[in-house]
Amino acid sequence: MMSGDDLNPAAVPQPVEDRQGDGRWMSQIWKEMFSPLHALNFGLAGDTTCNVLWRLQNGELQNIRPKVVVLWVGTNNHDHTAEQVAGGIVAIAQLLTNRLPKAKIVVLGLLPRGEQPNPLREKNAAVNRLLRSWLPRLGQALFLDVSNEFIHSDGTISSQDMFDYLHLTPAGYNTLAKPLSDLLLHILEETPEERRGSLV
Amino acid sequence: MSAEASNPAATPTPCEDSQGDGRWMSQHVRFVSECKEREPDVVFVGDSLVQLMHQFGIWRQLFSPLHCLNFGIGGDATQHVLWRLTNGELDNISPKVVVLWVGTNNHGHTAEQIAGGIMEIVQLIHNKLPNAHTLVLGVLPRGRMPNPLRERNAEVNKLVQDALSSLSHASFFNVDPGFVLSDGSISHQDMYDYLHLTAHGYQAVCEPLHAQIKSLLEKPAEN
Repeated sequence: MMSGDDLNPAAVPQPVEDRQGDGRWMSQIWKEMFSPLHALNFGLAGDTTCNVLWRLQNGELQNIRPKVVVLWVGTNNHDHTAEQVAGGIVAIAQLLTNRLPKAKIVVLGLLPRGEQPNPLREKNAAVNRLLRSWLPRLGQALFLDVSNEFIHSDGTISSQDMFDYLHLTPAGYNTLAKPLSDLLLHILEETPEERRGSLV
Repeated sequence: MSAEASNPAATPTPCEDSQGDGRWMSQHVRFVSECKEREPDVVFVGDSLVQLMHQFGIWRQLFSPLHCLNFGIGGDATQHVLWRLTNGELDNISPKVVVLWVGTNNHGHTAEQIAGGIMEIVQLIHNKLPNAHTLVLGVLPRGRMPNPLRERNAEVNKLVQDALSSLSHASFFNVDPGFVLSDGSISHQDMYDYLHLTAHGYQAVCEPLHAQIKSLLEKPAEN
């Protein structure tokens, strides 16, 4: 069962209000790791599914034809339930598939957060369970979840992986990057030579 | 400067766990235990600009050799740093230098209040660590184009620089190499989101900062 009949606030496109007053909410450029794949990075700290949806509807998909879109969002949807968040992510994946019918959509699972077990870990895990069950309906979507790599046997997350128990350290990024990179290379290798290597 | 009681920026205040995963307190507790385990010569305290410095190669290259600890937490305003330093993050250590970089997240406060908060922190550090020198870094400009926060931050720097000029245990250090270009813009090559520094931005900030810290460490201890 997918959300969609009732209005899901997590699937309502919404730009970020410039509350702080310096207008700094803008696209960021990807620096290092996936550059050889000709990748663009449109990540924005703090964004919710609503904000990502707004950005994609307002220019960030114009004039490009990536082979793959990697989508990673949902951990900042503090006002929404797990069902709403998963619905928002699926709405974005659906939009991407509509606009880019030939692209593969790689959806990354939400990582656990906080040093100790806490409600946000449960919520993110619930989002991941819903995505696992809902995404296969979109033929072009793939789901990659490395959550288990980050929780130690005592239930803690290490600051060596997430320096603030949310954001990844270089070591933490390495844990994610290997399986992601393998998956992307696999997808890109499946595509014709002349259109190789285009990734968002 | 404003009296502590009437200045929210100068009133020690812990961060509310509004998201529900207790991360701010987890980080504070970790910093307090680092104070029990380590003997740093230099302690950096402040917000994300301090915290993220630790994630770049430049930290290991320039600051690790000086025996530094990094007590930055993203999002912190002066009142949060004040609370942390009051509640254990200066205990059991005797660094020669404390580097303080905070103020840009004090939304809703005036420049005077923010400067008051910074000076309150400087006073607290001096009370707890009478032999340490506090290096107060200027708050950087932000936003792609001119905006009110740039004006606020510049005013904070002016007020703080004035207040510090009469002190011997603390000094102001401007780490802005000229991030604002001739057309008034800040480049995303320096600040990828017009607030946080790229590796390139940190290079420009950290090299002079490193030289300044080294020269402070080489001075005989203050009494």
